[in-house]
Amino acid sequence: MTSPYTGQPAEAAAPAGHAGSSLLADYAAGTAGAVAAWSVETHLAGCGRCRQELSAYADPDRLARNRSAVLVRSALPESRAGRVLRRSGVPDHVLRLLAATPSLRASWLLAVVGVLAVVTVETGFVEQAGPGGPPGLRGLMPFLLVAPLLILASVAAAFAPALDPAHRLAVAAPCSGLTLLLARAVSALAVALIPVICAAFFVPGPPWLPAALLLPSLALCATALAAATVVGPVAAAAGSAVLWALPVVALAATHLPLAVVQWHAQYACAVVLLVAAAVLLVRRDRFEFGWNR
Amino acid sequence: MTLEVHTADVQVRGLSRRYGSTRALDNVDLTVEPGVTGLLGPNGAGKTTLLSILATVNEPDAGEVSVFGLDPRDRAERVAIRRRLGYLPQELGYHRHFTVAAFLDYVAILKEIVNRRQRGEEVARVLAATGLARYARKRISALSGGMRQRLGIAQALLGSPDLLVLDEPTAGLDPEQRLRFRELVSNLPGDPVIVLSTHQADDIAAICPNVIVLLQGQVRFAGTPAELAATATGHVWTAQARDAHAHLSWRGGDSLWRHIGEQPPAGAQIVAATVEDGYLLLSQRAGGQ
Repeated sequence: MTSPYTGQPAEAAAPAGHAGSSLLADYAAGTAGAVAAWSVETHLAGCGRCRQELSAYADPDRLARNRSAVLVRSALPESRAGRVLRRSGVPDHVLRLLAATPSLRASWLLAVVGVLAVVTVETGFVEQAGPGGPPGLRGLMPFLLVAPLLILASVAAAFAPALDPAHRLAVAAPCSGLTLLLARAVSALAVALIPVICAAFFVPGPPWLPAALLLPSLALCATALAAATVVGPVAAAAGSAVLWALPVVALAATHLPLAVVQWHAQYACAVVLLVAAAVLLVRRDRFEFGWNR
Repeated sequence: MTLEVHTADVQVRGLSRRYGSTRALDNVDLTVEPGVTGLLGPNGAGKTTLLSILATVNEPDAGEVSVFGLDPRDRAERVAIRRRLGYLPQELGYHRHFTVAAFLDYVAILKEIVNRRQRGEEVARVLAATGLARYARKRISALSGGMRQRLGIAQALLGSPDLLVLDEPTAGLDPEQRLRFRELVSNLPGDPVIVLSTHQADDIAAICPNVIVLLQGQVRFAGTPAELAATATGHVWTAQARDAHAHLSWRGGDSLWRHIGEQPPAGAQIVAATVEDGYLLLSQRAGGQ
């Protein structure tokens, strides 16, 4: 006669219809095979006698550790977006690090969307009633000015120590400062780009405008990150914002607002992006803040 | 024959640090061995600066630091120190929208405990050790000051560090919580090096085998609490009235005036000095210089 749980010859000591002692011991130790463990679990659900016998084999320390870990896991809140990302393969520890990023919080994103909505609507009004400029481009300047700056603000908020209340713990931790910074900055950049690109479809302008915003936005954020290794994060973000605002306003005054995102500007942005990335790489230790002032 | 050279776990030589015209640390030398070392000093004495340098989050202007034989000026060695470090800053900020468990989970990740199960077990361990297990789901914004301080202590314990740097860990704790903290520190496994700063001389007397008094950025005393108390032997006396020549005088619960000073009057009732008396006497002497 074979055991219904293991397919092996039934133990003499196992009462009919119940799991044997050695099988229960193996199950408690986690050494029973997958099929046997499944059978035992099915049986245990309906058999109080075997459940009671199993408790004698359980390791109380292991149970306590498991219980504590499960309780902690259940105390970790997870947003809907976090759940989707985790199921998409993003490691949960990366999601936890990103959860501490202010510009990835719903309130920040709502503010970005709100500002973009106002600027987009205003752009439409100026286009219809505003003075000067070629038709189709009259109202574009405010959008070209604000959209990349919103992305810059999101990235700056992701790496500014002043907005990270537990910044000192991050500095004293072995986790690389640059890795943490880039994870947050890139996530903030990606998330802020979505509403900006969407809004670019609604403002009056050429159809390639949404794509043309990508490189300047990247270059602007990279410049701020690179400058932060020299002058500190707030000054770096403010300086980069001015560097963007000056050509946008100047070109708009000459009725050429789109020049700031056209081909020659794209080349310039690509160069700036490369230089900024090189500076960031060379001076990456500066993001540890602590030892290197 | 092998020559065994003992290297102290934490060694500081000629450490100096300025903030503008303020000298926070002035040529500090000290050695810290396993066990609890208490750092005693008034506000502005340089305790926080010294601890932040030991925790590798601050840089000295001059001097050398060695932690477990590692030099924090070297990037790789600095990371190696941080892997063995638990740090409670004086003013620890919290992500207030996090729950207690989520915050600890976050700090555990910063400490490179990436495995989900291992992190869960570690967070559960420090929650239990600090009596916060039942508040695991609570948002940090809803915690009292004392509970936040316990959370700060809990995060420092993550990963069972070999070096614990605790800047005023008992600030904001009520008397029972302070006793629990003493119990917790006394029972930490593995004999870690613990350096803690405090204003509470009774904390020092209760849990620190070693004490360092830092005054005006300089080490004015390093020894045991009993030795610190002994520095005031013969300088503490009681009387029925206030003594104008004493450095410090206060009326105790027994209505007698307790005095600390350089020269007790003839016939004064000399009493046993405490750690606090020793510290106050040193502090008064330093202030008079």
